[in-house]
Amino acid sequence: MLKENQRPIWDGIFKFPSQAGEPVGLLGNKCKSCGKVFFPKRAICSNCFTDNTMTDYELSTKGKIYSYTVVHYQGALEIKSPYAYGFVDLPQDNVRVLSIFAEYDRLEINMDVELSVESLYTDRDNGNEIIGYKFRPLKKSALDTS
Amino acid sequence: MREVYIIGVGMTKFGRLPEKTLAELGREAVWNAIRDAGINPKKIQAGYCGNVQGISLWGVFGSGQVVLWEVGIKEIPIMNIENACASGATAFREAWLGVAAGLYDMAVAFGVEKTFVRKGAMIDIGKGFFENRMGNNMPGEFALRAKRHMHEFGTTTEQLAKISVKNHHNGCLNPYSQFQKEFTVEEVINSSMVADPLTVLSSCPNSDGAAAAILTSRSVAKKHCKKPVRIAASVLRTGSHKNDRNLAVFDVELQAAKEAYDMSGYGPEDIDLCECHDPFTIAELMHYEGLGFCKIGEGGRLIDQGEVEIGGRIPFNPGGGLLSNGHPVGASGMRQIVEIVWQLRGEAGRRQVENPRIGLAQIMGGGIEMDVAAEAIHILARD
Repeated sequence: MLKENQRPIWDGIFKFPSQAGEPVGLLGNKCKSCGKVFFPKRAICSNCFTDNTMTDYELSTKGKIYSYTVVHYQGALEIKSPYAYGFVDLPQDNVRVLSIFAEYDRLEINMDVELSVESLYTDRDNGNEIIGYKFRPLKKSALDTS
Repeated sequence: MREVYIIGVGMTKFGRLPEKTLAELGREAVWNAIRDAGINPKKIQAGYCGNVQGISLWGVFGSGQVVLWEVGIKEIPIMNIENACASGATAFREAWLGVAAGLYDMAVAFGVEKTFVRKGAMIDIGKGFFENRMGNNMPGEFALRAKRHMHEFGTTTEQLAKISVKNHHNGCLNPYSQFQKEFTVEEVINSSMVADPLTVLSSCPNSDGAAAAILTSRSVAKKHCKKPVRIAASVLRTGSHKNDRNLAVFDVELQAAKEAYDMSGYGPEDIDLCECHDPFTIAELMHYEGLGFCKIGEGGRLIDQGEVEIGGRIPFNPGGGLLSNGHPVGASGMRQIVEIVWQLRGEAGRRQVENPRIGLAQIMGGGIEMDVAAEAIHILARD
C-alpha cells in the first residue's frame, strides 16, 4: 500500500501486493472475450466492443525497448531533465507500454528491461511523494566498469 | 455534392506579434481574403474558424465570432473548430462541406492562433493525458518516431537536418515566414538538443498568425474569379490507436491519402507540390512515404537527391513549412491552403514552383496513445 504522503502519478495503474515485501506491479485490464490486454485500463474493449468483459490484469515485468528518446529541455513537467522515455514491449502480455527509463545514456532499441516501481518526484505544492514506474536495463554494457 | 472553388485567400505575416490580438490577426487575414476575392462581405453565408488555444491562453471564447465581428460580419452561422494542429484544415473542410452540400454559395474559412506566451506553454499542452504525466511531450513523440525510423530504415540525422535546411531556405523566399535565415546541416545538427535526435533547429518555433480563404460554388466562382482553384478532395481521418502499430509509419496517412487520391481521381504522380505538416524534420520525411511519393523507408533518398526542393520532382513545403513559418496551431492548416492557391495561380514570387496544376495539403494533429487524433488532406486543382 502507499504511505500517507505518497500518491500515484495516475490513479489505478498499480497492483499492490497482498503480502508485505512483495513487489508492486502495473495494473491493466484484459478483455475476457477477445483476450486483448490494455494499459492503462479501459472501460470498453476497443478491439471487440463486447460489453462488460474487462477484468483486472497484472502486467508482466520484463520486456524490450521498442523506441526511446532522451529529453533535454526542462519544461514545466516535474520530471527532471535529462530523462529518457519511450515504449516497452511486454511479449508475455502482447502489450506495449509507455515508460520512463531508469537511465538515459546507454539505451538501445531491443534492449531487455524490467519494471521498477519508484518515486518520480516530490509535489512542490503539498510535499507528496509521487510514485510512478520506470523500466531499467537488465544487462550491463561492455563499457560498464562498475 | 457540388464542386467547390476558392476565389480568394489571405494571411498575416507569421511570427512573434505581441502587439496584435487574436481577433486582430484573424480580422487581417479574413479581410485580405475578402479583398483578394473582390466580393462584398455581405454575400458570405457561413464562417468557420480553426483555433486551439484562444480560450486557454487568451480567455477568448467563440474566436470565430469575435474575428468576424471585427471584420463586420454578423448574423450568419459561425462555428469554431478544435482539432489540434489540424484545426485550420478541419475548418476549411467544414466550409467545403457546407458549400458542397448546397447549403451555402459562399463561405469563409480561417485559422488563427497566438502561441507566444510564457516559456514552456506550448510544450505543456496536453497535461491531461496519461502519457504526458509520464514524461511524454510533442518533441518526444516525434523523436520516438525518428529513432524507430532510423533503426528500421537507416535514416540519418544528416538527412533529417537537410529537411530543415531546405525549409528554412524556402522561408527566406517567403515574406510571410517567421524565420528569414538560412542554416547549414552542421548548424541544425549542432543546435541544442530538445529530444534526441531532434534539435532546436529540427523543430518548428512558436508563432502568431492567421490565414483565410473564401469558398464558393462553381457558378459564383465563374462570375467573380479569373483563376478559381477547385477543391478536388477533402479527407479527415482519425488514427487507429493500435497498440502494436509501427511508429515509423503514419498508417492513418496511408489510408487518408488513398481516400484523397480516390476522391480526386489524381495519384501521387499528378501532384505538383505539397504543403505538409513539418513540426519536426522527421515528420516531413515520413510524409514523403505516407503520401505515396516513395516506398516506406525510402524518404531519406528523396531529400538526399533533391527531389523535394522547389525545382525538384515533388516540391515539399515550398512556402517554408512549419519549420520556417512557425506553427500558430489553428492557423497552419489554412496557411498551407493559401500557399497552394498562390502557387497554383503563379503568385508565389521567388518561391514559385514551375507551372503547378495540382497541389496537396496535409496536416495532422493529436494525439491519444501517441497516435494521430486528426489527419486532414486536401487536394486543390487549377483547371
